[in-house]
Amino acid sequence: MRIDKRGVLTGTWNLSGNQACAEGALAAGCRFLSAYPIPPSIEVVERFTQRAKEVGAVFVQMEDEISVLAAVLGASWTGKKSMTVTSGPGFSNMMEHLGLGVMLETPCVIVDIQRAGPAIGIPTRVGQGDMMQARWGSHGDYEIIALSPSSPQEMFDFTIKAFNLSERYRVPVAVMSDAYVAHLKEKVVIPPAGKIKIKPRRYYKGRKDKYLPFKRDKDFVPRMVDIGAGYRFHVTGLTHDERGYPIMFEECQEHNVHPLVKKIRHYVDKIVEFQEVETDDAEVVIISYGATSRFALKAMEQARKSGMKVGSLKLITVWPFPDKRVAELAKKAKAFVVLEINYGQIVFEVERCSYGNANVAFVSHGEKGIDNIEDLLSTIEQVMKEKKVRKGIIEYRT
Amino acid sequence: MNPIITVFSKGIEKSGIKPSKVSVPSDIPFGSEVVNHLGVDFFHTIRGRAIPFGTGLKLGNPALKVVPFVGDLMTLGGNHFVHAGRRNMELLVICVNNFVYRKIGGQPAPSTPVTFSPYSTFEEPFNIPHLGNSCGAVYTARWTALHTDELANSIAEALNKQGLSVIEVLSPGPNYYTKIEDIESNLINFYYENSVIKNGEDPKNARITPEEKIVVGKFTDKERPTFIDSYNAQLSKVLGDKFTPYGGKNG
Repeated sequence: MRIDKRGVLTGTWNLSGNQACAEGALAAGCRFLSAYPIPPSIEVVERFTQRAKEVGAVFVQMEDEISVLAAVLGASWTGKKSMTVTSGPGFSNMMEHLGLGVMLETPCVIVDIQRAGPAIGIPTRVGQGDMMQARWGSHGDYEIIALSPSSPQEMFDFTIKAFNLSERYRVPVAVMSDAYVAHLKEKVVIPPAGKIKIKPRRYYKGRKDKYLPFKRDKDFVPRMVDIGAGYRFHVTGLTHDERGYPIMFEECQEHNVHPLVKKIRHYVDKIVEFQEVETDDAEVVIISYGATSRFALKAMEQARKSGMKVGSLKLITVWPFPDKRVAELAKKAKAFVVLEINYGQIVFEVERCSYGNANVAFVSHGEKGIDNIEDLLSTIEQVMKEKKVRKGIIEYRT
Repeated sequence: MNPIITVFSKGIEKSGIKPSKVSVPSDIPFGSEVVNHLGVDFFHTIRGRAIPFGTGLKLGNPALKVVPFVGDLMTLGGNHFVHAGRRNMELLVICVNNFVYRKIGGQPAPSTPVTFSPYSTFEEPFNIPHLGNSCGAVYTARWTALHTDELANSIAEALNKQGLSVIEVLSPGPNYYTKIEDIESNLINFYYENSVIKNGEDPKNARITPEEKIVVGKFTDKERPTFIDSYNAQLSKVLGDKFTPYGGKNG
């Protein structure tokens, strides 16, 4: 696919995470943004609308986040790459249409700049409390892809990655950022247009009257067409057959919904990405994602200086979760320390995947200031002293 | 419902618009084969959300004519309806009003006139054309499903209007508890015979009450800048030549 060069602001810039996210979207070819104003996500909209005129993109501010995601799904079916950006309360509103997006297999990107919750929480405080909601928030069975950037550069890169994954697997992809990364200003390098990899939409190219909207390729992903091009298709949020007609029988549930899960699960190894640092000889592996991975690395370096064998596993895709790798590491390492800005979410996944082979300690980060790694370091020290594997999740600080 | 689809098909034909350029986001499950014969692109979305979905379709491809067929318009879709009117989003909203939640047992709806349920409902129902008109819709009309010619003309007119058009269609829906043929033919005749055509009537006088005849007709037909017009006008004003107008005649 030829990239629209107008969207790519090649160069080296000093951008906030939110600004980088908007640039990533424009570079990926996103030409439709819908949002409802909510901190701490506003700068994405500001940046996008400032640049929209140059690339012919459109922005619409809707009446709530329910309609925001509905509009994004609609726009995506017209052939425009579409995105929305929000924070916790808006993300909750979007859950209804997240389900529709999954059922209609509509590519789109949802950026969630997480803040403290539940309910209204603290609009400006950093949080990572929506991680499980991204995976399980909408009713019914589905699989989703969620990425977690830890720097403005990654906000740029992962937004592009999110668009590529959503086009490849025809599933809404969540970029689970947080208020810290979103407002952090750092160097962002935007490569020339030719160096950016863009995954094109997988279009149906057969006869118009033979088009079946949910006829799956071998990889379980059906092909798309643009609306208004004369294919006369029918799609529905009810359980449906290949033609997109509702069929409400048990067999059809299996026929329709099981592939929604399989199309992700069968390609987990291709989708899952993570970064490991010094895990080869590590006795303790810190598992982190998003903002916390910055402090995990800082703690790792300090611990290494004082002679402790500590490594770091940073999740790039949080969903699907890297089950296999965590299980492998559990056999090698004595313990995991999971660092999150919440009261325990991804740590349950780590515990599940360690199969009783390693201790799992949890650190709720951020209460003493986002830069403060005292709790993390003391947890690492304490978990090193454990003689055997304890059941459940260990929290040293009560 | 299927007779309304037939009328809709006639309406599209009369309007001179290619069916392939018409897309229907809906929150009502139609008979899919029927829709297939219509020749439009059809999206069955979630309860009450056809308008925002349609907003995305229209803004994604301004060349489309988007016709949300809505059932849960005044409940789940109420706020979407109000804002579509405020923006004057280019949609033709067809509200199929059968006064109750017929498919799931006949519970009262916000369009149910008082005295329709065994113990009587006591909540004031919405007057849909009046609400549409107040919110800024450029075209409002109400017909029963038996006013086939009038309804087809209205649909054709509204498809060529620039802005939000609202057509309320009074229709008896199927019910699990009665013979479908009985209730459909009796009720639809009842609505038809108890209606009076008053074109150009102020929709605020078109409340549906059991005591009076049902006022049907074309109520509103006015001009207002649409969302895309206003968007282009404002951005051209601020940015001048730097701005290329979005959608509309410039594609």
